Amino acid sequence: MKIGPTLLVLASGLILFSGSRGLASPALAQEPATFQPPSDSEIPSDPFGNLVRKGERIFTQTRTYAGKYVGNDLTCESCHLDRGRKPYAAPLWGAYVSYPRFRSKNHKVSRLGERIQGCFRFSMNGTPPPLDSDIIRSLVAYSFWMSRGAPVGVKLAGARMYKMPPPHRTPDPFRGKKVYAAKCALCHGADGLGTTSGHDVAFPPVWGPRSYNMGAGLAKVSKLAGFVKMNMPLSKGSSLTDQQSWDVAAYVDSQPRPADPRKRQ
Amino acid sequence: MSLLLRRTVASLCLSVFFLTSTAYAGGSMDWGKKIAEEGNGSPGSVACMECHRLNGGGMPSIGSPRIAGQTAFYIEHEILGVQKGTRYAPVMAGVVQNLSKSDIRAVALYYAGVRTPKLPDVSPPDPALVALGKHIAQKGLWKKNVPACVLCHGPNGRGIPPHFPYIEGQNKGYLLRQLVSFAFLKRKDDPQGLMRGISRRLTQRERKAVAEYFASLNPPATSSHKK
Repeated sequence: MKIGPTLLVLASGLILFSGSRGLASPALAQEPATFQPPSDSEIPSDPFGNLVRKGERIFTQTRTYAGKYVGNDLTCESCHLDRGRKPYAAPLWGAYVSYPRFRSKNHKVSRLGERIQGCFRFSMNGTPPPLDSDIIRSLVAYSFWMSRGAPVGVKLAGARMYKMPPPHRTPDPFRGKKVYAAKCALCHGADGLGTTSGHDVAFPPVWGPRSYNMGAGLAKVSKLAGFVKMNMPLSKGSSLTDQQSWDVAAYVDSQPRPADPRKRQ
Repeated sequence: MSLLLRRTVASLCLSVFFLTSTAYAGGSMDWGKKIAEEGNGSPGSVACMECHRLNGGGMPSIGSPRIAGQTAFYIEHEILGVQKGTRYAPVMAGVVQNLSKSDIRAVALYYAGVRTPKLPDVSPPDPALVALGKHIAQKGLWKKNVPACVLCHGPNGRGIPPHFPYIEGQNKGYLLRQLVSFAFLKRKDDPQGLMRGISRRLTQRERKAVAEYFASLNPPATSSHKK
């Protein structure tokens, strides 16, 4: 009887405390929820839907459906994981609503189609398909369909690559080599040249003649570090520390790869 | 002194000869086949074929895996894992205890080299589960951070040698039991804990579906055989 009120006060305090924690934690610890692209089953069965499906095929089996323009062993999905849906892996739903955009890379305002041409030229170390080709049209349609409901011109969480906070220590390829051996070589091979299954490329090469060239986004250590941090090893994103991600990116990008086509002439 | 030395040298030579000759036999496929057929001859040794069959087709009725054509690297790694206890396998644990390193190498080489058609599974594939399993296998469940199975197990699960075994055409009992072992039991021989993480994030229905899907396919060795 005597301790009743005290208990009550304590209990209500606890409830209040836990309540306020419960309210505060999402705002503190979590980023805003990322955009959810529509599911496959919602692709309409009409000519537009056919274009979207064609875009997805090119996206996931780039060599088969756009082989003429591909100069290495990568596909679009090698970097844009989950068929272009995964947050922080430059998802297509984020791309569509971000263009036209000024790019410091070429000091021009690019349309999405032109940006995709850049992917073929640098990341795929190939040649850009013409802007009015079926390939670019299908890929743009695929991107458009996936962005259905996404706000235009608004910053969405995970809509592009992850921007790393500056490293505490200068990224070091020698430390990175150890991280690579422990975490990456299992799939990409100790020689970085990827792994095959039968005659098919299974895990993409991360350097060497069949990987992205020096002009690609991922050839920049900061970009690659952000990609690794959020996505690698597959299914274990965010398991490497920031420093490990910086170091392994410095190592991978210190390895030989095709030259930047802008500097080849 | 010199007599003793000569004797020692002679016996050393003899034993080296003896050792290399048995090692030669031990490293060969014949020795591996012999272990598969009747064990390695140590007391209580068991023949692999009692559960995996001589041609490595396994035994779907008891969920014993098909191992024909799996890479020697992988088979060896798994047997060593059972011996060390990193791979949960209550039945195998008793069986492989007496195998030496060279026995394991030999039997792994033997089973990597054999081919056999798919054996009938315990039940016909359940279409609803196969459809769900196909989705997870080919596209993944990325919302739960589960990549498509085929990213690491190769197109249709035909394997990416040497680390990633083929699961295409494996029997469903085995596949489901391994997923459960990764998720809840003591199978912890997967590189970087990849399978433990992935399997834990699946529901039991999803695990079943994945097992059902891969079991509904034809194993890679026989399909390449037909071509």
